Amino acid sequence: MRGAEVSALVILDLHNHSIKSDDGRAKVENYCQWISKKGIGVDGFVLTEHRQFDAESDYRPLEDEFGILILKGSEVETDYGHVLVFGVNDEMQTAFDFTRIGLSAELVVREVKRCGGIAVPCHPGRTQVGMLAHVRERGAVDGVEVIETLNGGSRGSENDDAQSLAEEFSYRGIGGSDAHIVSHIGRCSTRFDQDIEDMDGLVEALRTSRYEAVRVSS
Amino acid sequence: MGMTAAELKERFGDTVFDSVEVEARGEDMVEFALACGETDPCFTDSSHPDFQAPANFATKYHGARMLPSDFPKFDPARMIDAGKAIEIHAPIRPDTKLTAKSHLHDIYEKTGRSGLMVFLVHRMEFTDESDELKAYVDWRLILRGGLQ
Amino acid sequence: MSARSYESVEFGEDLPEVEPDVGMENVKRFCRSAMMYGPRFTDHEKAKKEGLPSAIVPGIMSQGLLGAIIHNWAPGCTIKSIDTVFRAPLSVDSKPTCRAVVTDKDDDTHSIEIDLTIVNEAGETRVLGTAKVEL
Repeated sequence: MRGAEVSALVILDLHNHSIKSDDGRAKVENYCQWISKKGIGVDGFVLTEHRQFDAESDYRPLEDEFGILILKGSEVETDYGHVLVFGVNDEMQTAFDFTRIGLSAELVVREVKRCGGIAVPCHPGRTQVGMLAHVRERGAVDGVEVIETLNGGSRGSENDDAQSLAEEFSYRGIGGSDAHIVSHIGRCSTRFDQDIEDMDGLVEALRTSRYEAVRVSS
Repeated sequence: MGMTAAELKERFGDTVFDSVEVEARGEDMVEFALACGETDPCFTDSSHPDFQAPANFATKYHGARMLPSDFPKFDPARMIDAGKAIEIHAPIRPDTKLTAKSHLHDIYEKTGRSGLMVFLVHRMEFTDESDELKAYVDWRLILRGGLQ
Repeated sequence: MSARSYESVEFGEDLPEVEPDVGMENVKRFCRSAMMYGPRFTDHEKAKKEGLPSAIVPGIMSQGLLGAIIHNWAPGCTIKSIDTVFRAPLSVDSKPTCRAVVTDKDDDTHSIEIDLTIVNEAGETRVLGTAKVEL
């Protein structure tokens, strides 16, 4: 969907890491402060910690203080590269081991959907950790509907390749900053034309085509 | 190798496997600082009353070994430097003899641009002659291809 | 004692950008001081034979460049830690830019955290990290 066709109601940065991830260096409170102080045009963000789902952390006080929606997902590692998982629940966490590397992408996509979530291959244009090269070698993964076409940590050519892949397979595209340090949040996001208040709402929205990946400026 | 990252961590983690002595020479401290663009005379002028090494000076030192002698063997060409962290506890003064003790602080797996990777965090603990802690230096080393 | 007081520093404040000297002569000077004698740092042709795009700036020199912009911004401050990730090689004789911005303030310890990046001419991040600094 092109930008002019989406009348934005909510802009969410769908891919970020905090100090809960081994390579994350940002505290969630500082992400909120940064968005607020710099006037970054996002309404919220999703924490997608590597190989885990952070069930314990309660960010509601920060949501209230800063008026920013904070949701929690995960980034797991598969034989087709890394995959964002939205809508994590107990059933999903018993369906496959989030901590494992080299999970079957097909299994992850299928099980996430069965458990009510949605799996989104991220930074597909990057070598090894993105699905593009794997698709060229072994064919597409059944069940994929959405990929990350705009990733804040990828090179321009890698995002171009991701966009081409989306067009080739009619995948819908999302955007995420893939921030690991505070000042990188809000570089890339996803603009929705519907209101989203929680993870269920996000999963529901991602099943539609009423969104697009966008670069955000302050 | 036949061991998982968790098994390697269990076996080798937190055991000191190397200890070396090095001397922090004032002239090297000045050259290091100037090449990095430091302008404060406390780093660039050895006659300054507070002369000291720039913050990450200890990162230049290597031990005699990167890994324990009985660590499983692999092709060294698969090892890459993924990053470095230094935690500074006290300034390093010129012509100080430092002792650096090494242990494996963490071992874990993930996939990256180069495929399956094992991260080895080699920590060096630097102390001076009076056993004052000067710094911890963490080397994050990546073993590409994992534990083959 | 830092020339910048804790109170005067704002969350989100950018430190002055710096275009560091990563020319061959300066990199050689660094390598001598750090006893790093690998030709991948000081010889473009030999570095290419190792599969690199050119001679590369040593990772710890990149870290030192980032430390210097903190010291030059707040002379007398104490850097408590620097943590850097070398995401991609930084070429010797290139024209990178060092950037830093304040991303946390701790009123109890009067320490701040700073995000650090080095980008190449194309704006691509080559080195990123964080530092903790006492003022």
